[in-house]
Amino acid sequence: MEYHHDSEMKEVVAKYLNICIESKQNGLCKEEKDSKDSAGINKLPRIENAYTTILSELGEDVDREGLLRTPLRAAKAMQFLTKGYKEAPKDILNDAIFDENHEEMVIVKDIDLFSLCEHHLVPFFGKAHIAYLPNKKVVGLSKLARIVEIYSRRLQVQERLTKQIASAISEALEPAGVAVVIEATHMCMVMRGVQKMNASTVTSVMLGKFQDDPKARKEFLDLAIRK
Amino acid sequence: MEHSKQPQYTSNEIKDTGDSSSVPNGHFDGLVKRPAGTVRTPVPQPPAAECVSHRPVNAVMESWREERTRSVEDNEMSLPSLAAAYTTILRGLGEDPQRQGLLKTPWRAATAMQFFTKGYQEKIIDVMNDAIFDEDHDEMVIVKDIDMFSMCEHHLVPIFGRVHIGYLPNKRVLGLSKLARIVEIYSRRLQVQERLTKQIAVAITEALQPTGVGVVIEATHMCMVMRGVQKMNSKTVTSTMLGVFREDPKTRDEFLTLIRS
Repeated sequence: MEYHHDSEMKEVVAKYLNICIESKQNGLCKEEKDSKDSAGINKLPRIENAYTTILSELGEDVDREGLLRTPLRAAKAMQFLTKGYKEAPKDILNDAIFDENHEEMVIVKDIDLFSLCEHHLVPFFGKAHIAYLPNKKVVGLSKLARIVEIYSRRLQVQERLTKQIASAISEALEPAGVAVVIEATHMCMVMRGVQKMNASTVTSVMLGKFQDDPKARKEFLDLAIRK
Repeated sequence: MEHSKQPQYTSNEIKDTGDSSSVPNGHFDGLVKRPAGTVRTPVPQPPAAECVSHRPVNAVMESWREERTRSVEDNEMSLPSLAAAYTTILRGLGEDPQRQGLLKTPWRAATAMQFFTKGYQEKIIDVMNDAIFDEDHDEMVIVKDIDMFSMCEHHLVPIFGRVHIGYLPNKRVLGLSKLARIVEIYSRRLQVQERLTKQIAVAITEALQPTGVGVVIEATHMCMVMRGVQKMNSKTVTSTMLGVFREDPKTRDEFLTLIRS
């Protein structure tokens, strides 16, 4: 019995070392071959194996009941949490832009946002508030939330996320101004590291009239942020 | 995965001959597969909630004192393979691990994950031994709103919430921060909320032999909020009541009212 376990252990160790080496080689080749991998399914086994390695390296028993399918679940969860890579704003915005003779501020606030910190692979979540001053073109309201989804479901840095959302709206609608404010809690700061429970990070991007005109900015902040 | 090992261990079999070095931590499904001598890194087994009551008392005490631990050296040795695994994951997700923001991410993520599972490195006995005092006090002691952070063992995604602990001492009281430290040890692991609640309650019971213990955890599961069913405001509440908290409804009522206020 002991021999059996021992040799199996060695097999597993050899296997994951090979996987590490293989994946490095394959990874480089694959990137040259197919830069646009439409089937995330292809990559799933590799991510799964990586998670199995992680579980055993953390000192857990990968064969215990609760962890049996965890590598698969964790791999799928990670793919879901980074599904924004496969989506582009133009795919969702194109049909929902309407000509409307409206030039007053449009605000969509308290959009729940969930993203992954690219430095620690740990979630950060919060709310996004978006405002724009239309220039004869308005966009379907849910599309603003969908843009947030596209950019947040990636490995992100909050500053970049805010900017990407603002730029996407700006490019699609060419409005007179766009403002995006995100306030988020970073689990990498709360669960580990400095461990400050109540800290939240606020970033904002003001484009066009929101940048030039303090009154427009003030109106937005009063309506969206002040409770 | 070696599924052939599973049928050999039924829930009635105890692979425990009383030898303290191979005592499993009460987890019957998936017992210690590797005998102590051949293991490179110790494999701790969190106790299964339902099994504790069936086992003889001294075996339960043994398991509490003999929790297998990961060491700091183990952490250092695992770091390269953990980092390699994370690099594979980054590539698998379609990211470029060579871009500036992601260059050191595998190492940071590996260290973060080790931190999130640091409960495997600590033993209850180290944390509690000096802080048990004889005190002639038999009224309820409650420590509430203890912030708790754990990892869902099914999706490897955070769980966070608050723990409320109450106990009725039986001539022995525990240093208050030790209750929070017990929470830390058991929560910084790959957990299931039900098991976490029970483990905290059982640890306090075994250490103090109080008249009763009550533990309530309310937590948010990111696996439900960020993915899957995506319900933002849902909370999961679990509780374990032992001893007089279970038998006497008035005691339980007092505890629940005080933690709510």
